[in-house]
Amino acid sequence: MSLYRRVLRLLSPDLERDYGAAMEDMFDSKRDDARRKGVLGLVIFTWREFGGLMAVSASHIISTIGQDTRQAARRLMRSPSFTIASVLTLALAIGANGAIYAVVKHVVIDPLPYADSDGLIELDHGAQRLKVTNGLGLTRGIYFHYLNRAQSIQSAAVYQSADRTLTGRGDPEPIRVTATTPSLAQVLGVAPVVGRWFTDEEGRPGGPAVVVLSHGFWTRKFGRDTNAIGQSIVIGDVPRQIIGVMPASFAFPDPRVELWTPEQIAPEMGFGLWSYAGVARLRDKVSYESARSELTTLLGGLAQAFPGDRGAIGNSDIGLSFTGRLLKEASVGNVRQALWMLLASVATVLLIACANIANLFLVRSDVRQREVAVRRALGAGRLELGQYFLSESFLLSAFGGGLGLGLAVAATRMLVTAGPSTLPRLREIQVDSPVIAYIALLSAIAAVAFGTIAFARSSFSYAALSDTGRANTVTRDRHRMRHVLLGGQVALALVLLIAAGLMARTFQNVRAIDPGFDVASALTFRIGLPARQFATRDAALAAHSQLLDRFKELPGVSGAAVTSCLPLSGGCHGNSLLIEGQPRVPGATLPIAVFRAVSDRYFETIGTRVLLGRGIDSNDVDHREPVAVVNDVFAKKFLGDRNPIGQRVASNRPPPSAGTMEPEWLTIVGVVANTPTRSVDESPIPTLYMPLSMGDGPDSPPGRIGPAISVLTYVLRTSTPPLDLVPQVRQAVLAFDGNLPIAQVASLQEVLDRASAQMQFTMVLLVIAASVSLLLGTIGIYGVMSYTVSRRTAEIGVRIALGAEPSGIAAQILKQGAVVTGIGMAIGLAAAFAGARFITSLLYGISARDPFIYVTTCGAVFGIALLACWLPARRAARLNPVSALRAE
Amino acid sequence: MTPLSDLAFHVLLALGDGPSHGYAIGKNVEGRSGGRLDPTTGTLYQVLQRLAEDGLIASARSPAGTDERRKYFALTAQGRRVASEEAGRLDALVRAARKLGLYPQRA
Repeated sequence: MSLYRRVLRLLSPDLERDYGAAMEDMFDSKRDDARRKGVLGLVIFTWREFGGLMAVSASHIISTIGQDTRQAARRLMRSPSFTIASVLTLALAIGANGAIYAVVKHVVIDPLPYADSDGLIELDHGAQRLKVTNGLGLTRGIYFHYLNRAQSIQSAAVYQSADRTLTGRGDPEPIRVTATTPSLAQVLGVAPVVGRWFTDEEGRPGGPAVVVLSHGFWTRKFGRDTNAIGQSIVIGDVPRQIIGVMPASFAFPDPRVELWTPEQIAPEMGFGLWSYAGVARLRDKVSYESARSELTTLLGGLAQAFPGDRGAIGNSDIGLSFTGRLLKEASVGNVRQALWMLLASVATVLLIACANIANLFLVRSDVRQREVAVRRALGAGRLELGQYFLSESFLLSAFGGGLGLGLAVAATRMLVTAGPSTLPRLREIQVDSPVIAYIALLSAIAAVAFGTIAFARSSFSYAALSDTGRANTVTRDRHRMRHVLLGGQVALALVLLIAAGLMARTFQNVRAIDPGFDVASALTFRIGLPARQFATRDAALAAHSQLLDRFKELPGVSGAAVTSCLPLSGGCHGNSLLIEGQPRVPGATLPIAVFRAVSDRYFETIGTRVLLGRGIDSNDVDHREPVAVVNDVFAKKFLGDRNPIGQRVASNRPPPSAGTMEPEWLTIVGVVANTPTRSVDESPIPTLYMPLSMGDGPDSPPGRIGPAISVLTYVLRTSTPPLDLVPQVRQAVLAFDGNLPIAQVASLQEVLDRASAQMQFTMVLLVIAASVSLLLGTIGIYGVMSYTVSRRTAEIGVRIALGAEPSGIAAQILKQGAVVTGIGMAIGLAAAFAGARFITSLLYGISARDPFIYVTTCGAVFGIALLACWLPARRAARLNPVSALRAE
Repeated sequence: MTPLSDLAFHVLLALGDGPSHGYAIGKNVEGRSGGRLDPTTGTLYQVLQRLAEDGLIASARSPAGTDERRKYFALTAQGRRVASEEAGRLDALVRAARKLGLYPQRA
């Protein structure tokens, strides 16, 4: 065969079939003509002829695609159950994938809305000798030290956030303000949308008092009026001039911040305190690791850099190291792992869906075996047969993908509402163009996947034609293929269900942890006293005690108390301790505890049990008695088996200067139950409670490190629904002082719920993935089994006519299903066992190989699978042999 | 039915004289169009296939002694009718153009 004809057969099989010989003849004649015109004529001729073939083939394909699609649509309409099942299966799987991809993309892949965010690191430190692994932040001294010496850093900024009071524009309100060095805008690569950012001049001590607004604040307070620039607002008694507004996407360090002010510091101010957080941009091509090692090395030179500075000297022997992470990783935290796991599991679900549809395609292609064989016999090329199947699979996945897109949009909206607010950029999550592209890609991959499987399975011989035409059972290896797919589905569904079950138990366990306080019917909120107005400790104490008295008189309030730090609010004040009778061993680390200053009846009000001795009473607070109450873990860890009552402890600060000053000893009078500090599943942290009057006021001598009592959290025990009391509480505060802001109003139940919100989010996502996969698996088993039965209708009819017991026939079909399910479950169990270590870190109070979860999940999957087989089996058993044979 | 393409009409004209084969049809089309149309083998046969499917041409018996690969085509009655309709359509267009002064009057 000539080359021309072979190319023709490849590119345009039907032309070749009809006119191959005649075209070859014409080609030869024309070539002879061309040869007479010389070599150039021959080259042009060859070029034209073969190019012409390609053009013919292309125009043919374009015209047949439309035709194929119409035909495929007609074929699909003829088998609506297959079409609906496939489209729904795809839509569910693709929708779940799209939604979770949207979450992962915004939260994990792209959590920071800044240019070149890969080069941003946080500036953070740990002190090995203090057993503080990280989270110290940095001091202004270290900031300038790095700025002057570090080669790996291009720019850096430090900042600190605080709740302040905004006055002068409507009611006074608490507002979160971040004070930052002007360098922040350069580090993050951001600029205001209106006005300007801080100049270096404004960042020096004594610089002008200015402020930059968040987009939200500008909208809320000024209705986006550009005339806001130049106006003044009063923040914490200081009038500040508005100079700019940041874009809506800018939320640094977190979305609660509404205002930015310049932090006015200079190198001459000395080493300073660990009060800052920091962020830096690495120079181009500097790796995180090399930056970290350079900064850790620089820390060794602190004492020399600040000669004679007490702070620098005091911090030179605590084993400082640089512990800042890439900002991207720091902002995502431990959700990252959970989300990746979820994306993997929904991808698995899509795999299940593809297996399902491939399976349905297979049973359908059995039915169409004869149709395909006839086409083949009539000369249809492999290319045309491929088109035949691919046009169907593409049409199915186009519909499935479209519907899936709709589901993804709905699911994303739901997740955004339900998700924990700690997730970065949660509010921005939406199905945008990259997510749509992802969905389109998945749909195309799915179409190719199951279309190809069906096509590959259809490339059989003419043997189908020699079949008698009687609906026979299909060949053995076709059976095996289908069963492998079914077993695989069972295995995947089992793995996901076990993971979801473990997560649900974890959530249950966490919720069942006794938080050490009574969450039912209690209201909490914070009140901060402006230092200018309440300038002394006594003034602050008096104000809080008057407020407490007002609250106690409110109808529906059965008790009221205050604390410097509520459980689960994190960031409690802590310090190292001296314990009387335990001599300080040089080099040994001192015990560290969280300090809380509380009012009388605090334990009764919040519902924390007193295990030993007594709580703090009004006499302690009124007379500033040097007493303390410790929690259970404090007593066990630091006091051993001694009776805690009567022991004396003291804060290590201020350091007792050589013999002249005795530390301020507190006598332990009681032991109370542990309460969580940051998260419910943490191991309890030693805590020391002291009377409110022992805390520090604005006038306390510098260097004292006690709990500050200007800003306190109130706890009201109520007999009515707690949030109903909010208006009366506001009224009472207003009557006391119109300038006091109330912040963070919540019931104790909400405080507790928030602490487990992230875990709940993970669990909900996993449960969604698992139920979708179980649903798809069940549909798959049911679909294949009932198809098997309908294909065997004639055979079963004959057997029943020959006297087979209907129950025997049902049992045989059930057994077939049970064997496939059993094998799939065995594989799933092995996979779950092997993968257990990946989920361990997410679990609490349950082993990743918990036998109960494994057994119940297996039982449930087996039961559901058998049910899916039982329905078709029953149908088989009830077949009427006469009508079964007539159906032929 | 889609309107007859330029090349298809030329093919029908080439068969107006009696049955012919691909190479000869191609030559005829090239000559009649003054070299404007010079279809490749593939293009020509795509048109021939289309015309055959539409019933405008049909296979014809090959004259004795020709290459056995050579395939002859002839106009069908419908093909004749369609060709004549197409010619009428073109004639009407030419007359319209004359009326508008876009084409010189016949001498």
